[in-house]
Amino acid sequence: MNYVIAGYSIVLGILFLYAAQLVWRRRRLTRAVDRVVAFHEDGARRTDGG
Amino acid sequence: MSATRVPPPLSPRARWTVRSIGAAAAVGMALTVWLGLWVTPPDQVQGNLVRLVYIHPGVAWVALYLAFGLAAVASLLYLWPRTRSLFWDRLAAAAVEVGVVFNVCTLVSGSIWGRPTWGVYWAWDARLTLTAILLVLFLGYIALRRLPADPEKRAKRSAFVCLFAAVDIPIDHFSVLWWRTLHQGATVLNPDLSPTIHGSMAWTLLISFLSLTLVFVWMLLVRYRIGVLEDWLGSGELDVALRQRQAEGSSAGTADGATGTDALGTGPREPVPSLVPTPSSPDPAGVVAAGHPAVPERAR
Amino acid sequence: MWRDTLLVAGKDLRIEARSRVALSQVVPFGVVALVLFAFALGPDRTRMAAGAPGLFWLAVLFCAVLAVQRSVAVESVDGARDGLRLSGLDPAGLFLGKASAIAAQLIVLEVVLGVGVVLLYGARITTPWLIVASCLLGTLGLAATGTLYGALSAGLRVRETLLPFLLLPIAAPVLLAGTRIWQAGMAGGTAADGSQWLRLLVVFDAVYLALGVVVYGPIQESA
Repeated sequence: MNYVIAGYSIVLGILFLYAAQLVWRRRRLTRAVDRVVAFHEDGARRTDGG
Repeated sequence: MSATRVPPPLSPRARWTVRSIGAAAAVGMALTVWLGLWVTPPDQVQGNLVRLVYIHPGVAWVALYLAFGLAAVASLLYLWPRTRSLFWDRLAAAAVEVGVVFNVCTLVSGSIWGRPTWGVYWAWDARLTLTAILLVLFLGYIALRRLPADPEKRAKRSAFVCLFAAVDIPIDHFSVLWWRTLHQGATVLNPDLSPTIHGSMAWTLLISFLSLTLVFVWMLLVRYRIGVLEDWLGSGELDVALRQRQAEGSSAGTADGATGTDALGTGPREPVPSLVPTPSSPDPAGVVAAGHPAVPERAR
Repeated sequence: MWRDTLLVAGKDLRIEARSRVALSQVVPFGVVALVLFAFALGPDRTRMAAGAPGLFWLAVLFCAVLAVQRSVAVESVDGARDGLRLSGLDPAGLFLGKASAIAAQLIVLEVVLGVGVVLLYGARITTPWLIVASCLLGTLGLAATGTLYGALSAGLRVRETLLPFLLLPIAAPVLLAGTRIWQAGMAGGTAADGSQWLRLLVVFDAVYLALGVVVYGPIQESA
């Protein structure tokens, strides 16, 4: 039974950790994209207005 | 200023779809664990060890056939001129990465099951060896993709590597038939017998397969989105920075963003994609289309 | 296509004949590898004889990587690759030609290494046709996959480190099958086991040769 529990925990653990990593990556990238877009828009506003 | 090349944020409907798939996957996995560890009976021969059948075959199916198979099909579709689209390339890349994770789970769960059953954590029989080889092959795929390259070249190269690697999948599948291996023959997909597993165990097995498939689909969707964002950042950020420097250094209005020329004036690297997903993107759910820039070859 | 095959194979082999890189560097490397394996495995003769098949194929595999690297490098100078693309040669013929050249070099290598293995490790061969068949079929497989991956990695700056990492796992079935067949063909093995693995080699070769013939053109264009 120990083997069974070990098997379940390790596999589910791997899947869970990978899922968490995916969510974290997506969040980080979305924020980076938002920053780039915001900067872009700032630049547009500056050159248009200036 | 030029039309900004933004991967449009996911529509609320897309976000809801991904989230509910994730929720369903989580529920399914919890159900599988509960059924597998408590509700189902131990086996006559294997005792409690049989409970690993609700994990190991499921992750193996997802890794080898669902994930890598999907990657191979997507690679084919990318290479086929009529269906060529970076969508397939990104889908393949996402499928491979998730498939590698599931492959690791397959080897680990198989190894843990093997220790009490056969006495060893590992054996060099055909099936285990081929599954390990598949892992290394697709790790090579991921390594190849890390190299900086023009997206279309990278896509073509990756597609070929994926197809070559996928040749080993049918070999792995038939290895239990062709050679005397430690693995038993197929129980569910057995061409000769009807399924040899009954009752609550059969139901739990089915639920485990479905749940793991849902987990895969959720991971695939998220990983695909990540790929889209990474590709955009990889190409977009540099352009923005260069444009900024040029706008600061010279008089206003020299940035040729509208025609797609990059700041160095070396000609269009990528045509300026529309902000709206093109109608041709093959995505019925509209989930992934939100992140799909204009198909490059249409503008070329 | 066959005419182009002979043309390209002839070209590669003639380059080899003039520069003698394979003969003077790759074959000695194989021999050195065998000797090093002997050191690693220790003086126990029975253990070495038992390990001989695997070590032989390992050495062949590593030398195959070198041969492929050489085959690709020959074309990376002076825009030779573009020249080949523009020359109007049938890409399938190009593929088969390059693969044949690599195969020819590997056969020579295997003869030398085979003799070395028999001498150094005290391997005793009971079913020679199995050994020969495995070498021929295995060489075909290595040449086909090597040519494919060589073309795939041709334009990359990290080719030297990436090619082995990509090629060796793909070639692993050749190592597996070759070793098993040799074990079947040596003292203590049965021919039946050997022929099973021969069948795998045939399928492997057929698949990758067919893939290569179809796919080499598009790969060339993207390199």
